[in-house]
Amino acid sequence: MFSSQLDGGASVFSGGSFMPSQATQAGDSSLSKNRGAPGVFSVTVKQISYAYHSSDDKSSFVIDGVDATNFRLLGMVSNKAERNTDVTFTLDDGTGRIDIIRWVNEASDANETAILQNGMYVSVSGSLKGFQDKKRAVAFSIRPVTDYNEVAFHFIQCIHIHLENTRTKVGGPTQTQASPVMGTSFVTGSKEPQTPANQVSELKIMNGSEKDIYKLVLNVFQEPASLLTAPLPCACLFIRASEHGLHVDEVARRLGKPINQIKEAIDYHVDVGHIYSTIDDYHFKSALID
Amino acid sequence: MDTSSPAVFVNAELLKMYQGRRVRAVVQVMRNEGGLIVGQSTDGHQLTVKVSQAFPLSHFVEVIGIADGNQSIRAEICTDFGDTYDTLAYNGLCQLANGKFKNLFL
Repeated sequence: MFSSQLDGGASVFSGGSFMPSQATQAGDSSLSKNRGAPGVFSVTVKQISYAYHSSDDKSSFVIDGVDATNFRLLGMVSNKAERNTDVTFTLDDGTGRIDIIRWVNEASDANETAILQNGMYVSVSGSLKGFQDKKRAVAFSIRPVTDYNEVAFHFIQCIHIHLENTRTKVGGPTQTQASPVMGTSFVTGSKEPQTPANQVSELKIMNGSEKDIYKLVLNVFQEPASLLTAPLPCACLFIRASEHGLHVDEVARRLGKPINQIKEAIDYHVDVGHIYSTIDDYHFKSALID
Repeated sequence: MDTSSPAVFVNAELLKMYQGRRVRAVVQVMRNEGGLIVGQSTDGHQLTVKVSQAFPLSHFVEVIGIADGNQSIRAEICTDFGDTYDTLAYNGLCQLANGKFKNLFL
């Protein structure tokens, strides 16, 4: 059941199992969707209350700028109610309470839910459904907590993930002590001289080359606004750029960077609203109005 | 979904800031006295917890309840966390959850 369209009604029947359709949908995603398949994020109920729909995909939720439709919560069970086809309960993790439903399709599902009791700590992995205020959580895995160090660990992990996701969003002024996780074989300290001065923040090149890439890509999209005296190739681009924006391949060619880095940077800028896609998922334009 | 009554992660020092509010803390049981547990918080100070049951000595107990005194909690829910627990991690979490990352919790 790898249906590519999941509306609110259909999702009710596909719950209980691992939600492969959602992973496939995101895996097929073109650049305009959030990057990659959604992972499972450790979050608190409070963070879920802040989650909002990503703009182009109403079935996925965004926390701290990343797709957090699949979540992991840890808390105490209460109000457990068992029915023939499902089990519902309220999970209280100390930051809030959320209603969880676990569809029971097979014996293994029933075994998982049979051991649940009110007052016990469990770790729930599931996905978020619903609209702004009425968020429901459909669990696909419920595991009792046996070593209670997991309680502290879960919340520390929430903080860690929050830090990672928000650290790369902020521009130059943020001090990052450690190099970013994603900086693998990038050329660090690639001091591209072509960055024009229309960027607001000072770029600290030591902060890791992923920020370099993001700045460079953004500059490419914003260049046409200020470059009327550019050399001929750029001027040609400018003419094309004003209609359909720039193609990702063009951006990669100009910067001389691998296409996957460019795509990552483009994803980020679409997320924060700097650029938008035009005629298809490979053409983008700067959202700046000059 | 309801985020109206969160329980704040506290140690003995932070407990003073949340008087009358719902808190959660881990204490190591030093002695049981009637309806009370006297325990050591994760930052090494003494806390008194009003409970309805006794817990084994030197076990770690997580207490969720209302802070009703500088060093006292009136428990609503108690969970026995066993006899080994990483108090340093929990203490660090208390400080983070009340400091820079308060918005994730409260």
